[in-house]
Amino acid sequence: MRTEAIDPPGITWLRVSPKYITVRLASWALANLVVVALLCVPLILVVSGVWENFPLWLAVALPAVMLVLALWRLLLIPRQVRAIGYAEREDDLLIRRGIFFQRTLVVPYGRMQYVDIGVGPVERGLGLCTLKLHTASAGTNAEIPGLPAAEGARLREQLSARGEARLAGL
Amino acid sequence: MKPDAAPEASAGADAGTPDGGWLRVHPASPFVRGWVALAAIVFFFFRDTFERMLQGGPLVDEQLAGRAPWLLFGGGVLLLLTGAGYVLSWYFTRYQVAEGYVRINTGFLFKQQRQARLDRVQAIDIVQPLLARIFGLAELKFEVADAGESAVRLAYLRMDEARQLRATILARAAGVVPDPAQPGAAAAEAPEHAVLTVPPGRLIGSLVLSEQSVVVVVGGLASVVLSAATENRSFYLFLIPAVLGMVAAYWNSLNRGYNFTAAISPDGIRLRYGLLDTQAQTLPPGRIQALRVSQPPLWRVLGWYRIQVNVAGYGAAGGNGEASSRTTLLPVGTFPDVLTMLSLVLPDPGTPDPVRIFTAGVNGLAPAVSGEETADAAGAPGSGTDDGGFVTTPRRARLLAPLGWRRNGFSATDTALLIRSGRWWRHLVVVPHQRTQSMALEQGPLARRFRVADLVLHTTAGPVSPRLIQAGLDEGRALLDEQAARARAARKRQTSEHWLDQVRPLVAGPSHTEEPNSQEDPQHG
Repeated sequence: MRTEAIDPPGITWLRVSPKYITVRLASWALANLVVVALLCVPLILVVSGVWENFPLWLAVALPAVMLVLALWRLLLIPRQVRAIGYAEREDDLLIRRGIFFQRTLVVPYGRMQYVDIGVGPVERGLGLCTLKLHTASAGTNAEIPGLPAAEGARLREQLSARGEARLAGL
Repeated sequence: MKPDAAPEASAGADAGTPDGGWLRVHPASPFVRGWVALAAIVFFFFRDTFERMLQGGPLVDEQLAGRAPWLLFGGGVLLLLTGAGYVLSWYFTRYQVAEGYVRINTGFLFKQQRQARLDRVQAIDIVQPLLARIFGLAELKFEVADAGESAVRLAYLRMDEARQLRATILARAAGVVPDPAQPGAAAAEAPEHAVLTVPPGRLIGSLVLSEQSVVVVVGGLASVVLSAATENRSFYLFLIPAVLGMVAAYWNSLNRGYNFTAAISPDGIRLRYGLLDTQAQTLPPGRIQALRVSQPPLWRVLGWYRIQVNVAGYGAAGGNGEASSRTTLLPVGTFPDVLTMLSLVLPDPGTPDPVRIFTAGVNGLAPAVSGEETADAAGAPGSGTDDGGFVTTPRRARLLAPLGWRRNGFSATDTALLIRSGRWWRHLVVVPHQRTQSMALEQGPLARRFRVADLVLHTTAGPVSPRLIQAGLDEGRALLDEQAARARAARKRQTSEHWLDQVRPLVAGPSHTEEPNSQEDPQHG
């Protein structure tokens, strides 16, 4: 990354699978194309002459703005996916994400209450999974998406074992 | 045991035995809980009669004479059914305290069995709604670390039973092993020392000077001006529901905050409050996850502060008045009161001069120009600036927070991280190191331009959400690492959930009220 990252120095991040870009693309398409299609409805109505007194420029601008925003987000997806990283340290797990709005999260192993692995339909097709850590705090939004299934299983076992060894009370 | 006590009373005393049998709550409890339903039934069927009585007419008119038996019959059947339901629900509700668990069975059609580990207790409350108070009953709430509903609610027990049960549960949770020679001996209630009270005058004053009063005044002025300007009287109509709501809110705060008393006992911090409905909370040692001292601008005139806490199990204080009063450690208090409460929550502040650092945290302001950058460069909190060791937002980022940059900062002692913020609404958040769940460093594009970052500490759900605003990037990164190490060390020190097993110096507050609270003694006779 060109800008200075907020991560603690001297950490080698493990990156998630590049195939995760496909998963993000699928969800992007599902969300944005539907919205753009809906916003195109006034345009169609105006063009076909059903809706007489609706300004044409607004009917064009609505889907156009939305489309530009959606394309912008589309261009960001590969970089966002590359920005996701995790690192296992001796006593805690580090998870980072984001380019524009960066976040580096530290979850101590002793604080983990349980570990979830979720697999969505697109992820299953690509052999990926999403690992989620839960602590006693709802604010801990610790998610590592786009892990290869084998790596996800390894990480889960690893985290559970380390968590058990270091488990502390609340 | 009391030889002359009623059966349920002796059952209550048995709650102290190591393997207490299955016990039932007080038989009157469903009626106390469901009196509204009963009253509604009675009201519904006798409304006609009431209305005629009010109008001064004959009690029974000829029209009613034909209907009366049916009405009475219907009402009676409904009452009977409801009553029978209550009795059944009472009969099938049983609880037991044994083998390190509290168990409760409820329901006769859909049975539910619940058990909670005693050493996982986060807090115990004894609640007395007005009606229960009249009958001398109380509800016991047992909280474990689940932000949802209470783990175990026992409604209702006789007051001395409830207190006895609380003492037993707390003693077990603390790790007191019941004496095998005296299996019948109930746990003695821990002695307590009253530490501070909030006088009613101060509570009322704090309500008058609260934020909602500002809203009331501004809203009132706005509507007067509006109606004068538009010569439209109907603006006053909108005020009526607003006034009703405000009165209710004020009454709620008064009712819940009245007669607030804090006490310390080996079991933890005891809080008592309430005008009509009274509540007694017990927070065992080390159960407070995060704490916030705050001061609205108007309170500064009188030097008042408020303390709120996060306790696992109390959950978030949404609009719900009950939750917000439960998470209030001090509704309004002076600075010495604040220091007293802090000394209860953090018996070991981890710093040789806690008063200085807390004062700086609550009221302090970093010097505007002096050698602050050098203190930042040193990166070591507590390296001896004038500001209680607080490391604030670097000067380069003062445009991001023109008012707050000298306030926003952190300081770490050996046992807790202190985060302060706000120039007008002053806040000081204290998070004990061993209570930190996880941490995150966050940075947006604007913050990156100024090389600052936010550090967020995640704690259990509650009113306090610790966030260090706009710390310098290098300090923030260093703090993330140091804090992870400190939390790790603190967790290693704390090995047991039984708080008596851990040697902790218990610092009782300023002991101007030394006499132990003279409650009646519900112990073994």
